Amino acid sequence: MYRTAAKRLLGAGLTTSRLLRSPKLTSSTTIPSSHTSNLCTSSMGHTESPISNQSGPTSAGEGPRRKPRPEFQEEQARVLSASLRHVARLGWTEEAMMAGSRDVGVSPSIVGSFSRKEAALVEYFMDECLQLLVDRVDSGLDLQNLIPSERISKLVRVRLEMQVPYMSKWPQALSIQAHPVNVPTSFKQRAMLVDEMWHAVGDGASDLDWYVKRTVLGGVYSTTEIYMLTDDSPEYRETWEFLDDRVKDAFDLKKSIQEAKYFAQDIGAGVGKLFQGLMNGVMQSMSTRGGRSSSAF
Amino acid sequence: MALRYLSSRMTLGSRILSYRSSLASLHSHATSFGFQQVREEEKSKLVGNVFTNVASSYDIMNDVMSAGLHRLWKERLVGKLSPFAGMKHLDVAGGTGDVAFRIFDAFNSVKRRALRKVDEASHEETQIYVCDINPNMLNVGKQRAAERGLSDNRSLVWVEGDAEALSFDDNSMDGYTIAFGIRNVTHIEKAIAEAYRVLKRGGRFLCLELSHVDIPVFKELYDLYSFQVIPNLGELIAGDRDSYQYLVESVRRFPPQERFAKMIGDAGFEKVEYENLVGGVVAIHSAIKL
Repeated sequence: MYRTAAKRLLGAGLTTSRLLRSPKLTSSTTIPSSHTSNLCTSSMGHTESPISNQSGPTSAGEGPRRKPRPEFQEEQARVLSASLRHVARLGWTEEAMMAGSRDVGVSPSIVGSFSRKEAALVEYFMDECLQLLVDRVDSGLDLQNLIPSERISKLVRVRLEMQVPYMSKWPQALSIQAHPVNVPTSFKQRAMLVDEMWHAVGDGASDLDWYVKRTVLGGVYSTTEIYMLTDDSPEYRETWEFLDDRVKDAFDLKKSIQEAKYFAQDIGAGVGKLFQGLMNGVMQSMSTRGGRSSSAF
Repeated sequence: MALRYLSSRMTLGSRILSYRSSLASLHSHATSFGFQQVREEEKSKLVGNVFTNVASSYDIMNDVMSAGLHRLWKERLVGKLSPFAGMKHLDVAGGTGDVAFRIFDAFNSVKRRALRKVDEASHEETQIYVCDINPNMLNVGKQRAAERGLSDNRSLVWVEGDAEALSFDDNSMDGYTIAFGIRNVTHIEKAIAEAYRVLKRGGRFLCLELSHVDIPVFKELYDLYSFQVIPNLGELIAGDRDSYQYLVESVRRFPPQERFAKMIGDAGFEKVEYENLVGGVVAIHSAIKL
């Protein structure tokens, strides 16, 4: 659902803007909410990320030939991408973003213009990971020979492994995402992630089951993510075992829900019969007593 | 006779024409000084006079006119900057140093926090330049700095200069602020262009200025307050009704938020945004140079 919505957005070329743009620049779509704009840039950006790596060191010294003025979103994306290299040392903070901006050759003042500064960095990272996941799936992550539960396991594992370089500072990222101000965006990003995963597994259902499936997978993903924070087994082996167990539980959950439904029905039937029996008894005793008393008159 | 009639008509016409052309020449090099039209060369002199007169009571009058709100507005302006060690900041038309002192305080508290973190690039020293065209305003600022014990501090530098022709190098400033100053500049585009010139790539432009109110009833109240109350306050407190009449009129003549934002964008700035405070009485325009 999100994928089709995103395709519609990109296809239609949404142009709402609170931001005014200089008429000299080539216009590109400007979307107010940060995550969809990052999605746009990242979906265009996965072709230009190799380019940005090359142009990074050259952008500092422009020389007499002025290259065409870069799109502001690209510049922001470049600063954020450079900041990620400093996160392991400085955390998801303004200092990391300032260091990143210095790498790109831009004054650190630009950090002041990011709305919800550290959250912008975390959200950029989440979008990048989602894009990477989609690319991995599209470029032939082998899922055909696996049963659905194993496919889910593999997808979650691939996604969580992207966070391994930042694991020491990931709790900070989680706390930033949990901030009330940032919750709407982080929730949306996670919802998109879960949707992508189910889409890759090959599930196209759109009934009530859709919500159940996404919620369950969201729960599996989050619990595994948190488990991973305290796991120091080599190559996170224990996390993957935990993940497999949870996925199995989730798939069993469907069966368990059915069983619980039947169980409830049985109990209901049993209780109902008991109640009925009781009521009959009471009615009978009332009618006989009433009959006896009426006969007295 | 017809000829004379014609010629008299023509002379009349030419007199009208010449009057029109002189008016046209007045208009082509004329600018506004409040609601008056004056020649451009005169405007800076007149503005100079205004601020020479108001300098000593500038701060008190600000407090009285805005009921102390101007402090909150300036806090908000400085809050939008994110100061860092080694920053070079320019505050234009900041004579009495309100904004500069706030940035200085913000920077110092950040510096103390950041000292704990390792940051290789912070070897350069932070510099806050305060630029004003009027030496009297600068003197008031220097006095206030002395009162705070900052007169020897190397971070604050007081410079006399014109916003339209800054004496700083290209690409030398990380931040540029102008609080309640840009409406006094004769050529606003030039000031914005100068701001663009001195800012580094990624540098931020922030402008705090009295702006236009559109909210129906509030607008009438605000106009009433501006034209009836403020000049009288000026008379009472600063002993100078005309300067404050000029002040109020210059606010009305300043371009509205959208047009000013367009002007900023035309100079080459990116991500031009504005935030209205108190319903539009004050607006903070922000932009980035890329």
